[in-house]
Amino acid sequence: MHTNIVKNHSIKLISCMSAYLISAASLAQPYDAGEQGRFVIAGYGDVKYEESDLLDSSAFSARFVPIFLFSLNDKMHVEAETEISLNEAGETEVELEYADIHYFLTDTTTVTVGKFLLPFGQFSANFHPSWINRTPWTPGIYGSHGSAQAMTPLLPILSDVGIAVQQTFFFTSQQKIFLDLYVTNGARAEAHNDGDEIIEDHAEDEEVVDEHTEAFPEVEFAATSGDNNKNKAFGGRIAYAFLPAIEIGASYYTAKYDEEERLSITAQGMDINVIGSRYLIRGEYILTETDGLEEADEHAEETINAFKRNGWYLQGVLQAGQIWPQLGGTELVVEYAKTNKFAKAKRWVAGLNYWLDPRSVIKFSYEETDIEEGDGDQRLAVQYSYGF
Amino acid sequence: MKKLHLLSVLLLTLGGGLITLFTQAIAAEVGSGAEIINNNCARCHNSRPVQEFSTQEWSVILPHMREKAHLTGQETETVMDFFKTLSGGPVKNVADVATMPVMDGGALMKKFGCQGCHSFNGKGGALGPALDNVVAQRGGEFVMKKLTDPQFNNPSSAMPKMPLTSAQINVLVGFLGKK
Repeated sequence: MHTNIVKNHSIKLISCMSAYLISAASLAQPYDAGEQGRFVIAGYGDVKYEESDLLDSSAFSARFVPIFLFSLNDKMHVEAETEISLNEAGETEVELEYADIHYFLTDTTTVTVGKFLLPFGQFSANFHPSWINRTPWTPGIYGSHGSAQAMTPLLPILSDVGIAVQQTFFFTSQQKIFLDLYVTNGARAEAHNDGDEIIEDHAEDEEVVDEHTEAFPEVEFAATSGDNNKNKAFGGRIAYAFLPAIEIGASYYTAKYDEEERLSITAQGMDINVIGSRYLIRGEYILTETDGLEEADEHAEETINAFKRNGWYLQGVLQAGQIWPQLGGTELVVEYAKTNKFAKAKRWVAGLNYWLDPRSVIKFSYEETDIEEGDGDQRLAVQYSYGF
Repeated sequence: MKKLHLLSVLLLTLGGGLITLFTQAIAAEVGSGAEIINNNCARCHNSRPVQEFSTQEWSVILPHMREKAHLTGQETETVMDFFKTLSGGPVKNVADVATMPVMDGGALMKKFGCQGCHSFNGKGGALGPALDNVVAQRGGEFVMKKLTDPQFNNPSSAMPKMPLTSAQINVLVGFLGKK
């Protein structure tokens, strides 16, 4: 029953997108960029020194993240971001962060196909590049590859393969509504090395078992050019922007993640971004609901339990150099993150940043994580991040 | 059931069309290039120095940022034109600069979009400090240096180096000093 509902939702969403694209295409206007270039390499990179109590180590690390931009014509634009880094074994890892093509259908409508960052909240799509992120770490409720933080995140930085439509409702130059909708391959159950799906029995590693010994289901979000079922993930974000001071958004994501399409994961989020001339405030709240099969004996039917988790973070940045000019590009950063249920934890981050120029910053940061049932962590990091 | 589905698709098509017509009809009220930068780029990151890329490079980068920042096509084009004014085209040509009219202070402020980032007479952006008392507070020499080399006192300043002649800088400092 639930599967049918989700299928119907997917069909409706695709129909809605198609209907909207048909209407928008009929009103398409050409965008004239004038003297047009063709190819640019931009991107960012960073070098980090980090000490961790939990890992009982200190290490230097480096990443280089080039973004390849191609302007095919005034309506089509190709972008691809790769992250090149060294792992602990000394091997070079290359990851495709996104690779997509935008089609500027109208003045306010953009269609994106390929692998893209999902517009869930603001950190995933906009704040994660290290020269933009005000600390060397993800905010605690988000995880990402290479991030071995003590907190169990609610979601990774989401990217996936599919199609997205973006619409900007332009009321004045200072008031806009942003709407993003997408359909992608979606999440899937995490598999053993032999390919078996794991629904339970994984709790001891990364997910914390609750007091009733129910195991939190493990879901794999890493994007692939395949799917373990016919269900597609769909979701989106709607945001109101009162520029240049504030942006408030609400996000939604849902997908069936098992082969039988019985189990779903749903995530809802709220985000806020306040931009002052001397300060920044960024925060997000996420609620996830993940279905899991409860182990049954031979004579009983398996039952589906819903596991709910939630968490939030709030980050404040004081641009001290704007108040006391002699401090130049100095910023003070404070961040608090908290996750509840199945992996209760909280984390404080304090940081001092110094901007060498508008696109390169040195961050001195300290974080302290308390895990209710597990080992906490204290970390110190110095990161030099640059955009290019 | 099929009829209902077709009807909903038809209604959505019409609705989408109307919304698009509505948003395009009022899209003509886009702000100046500097105002668009102030309103949108600073939501996520510091404004990058316009001189960092050529105008041809900006023409490839801006469509990328158009999608990231939910800019409209008209806004993107306005920013591109602003960048051309600042770093490309005739303003880099010495002969053209020499023949550029000095203008009055108000006209220069408008031409170079100062109020996109700075407030003046109660209007303008908040990315940079207000300009009302800047000469009285910081001195004419400071403002002159700032216009000549915007990063001289703060390496992270996002202020672009405007292609102003010495005469135009003097006019601007005089104009701001009258407040």
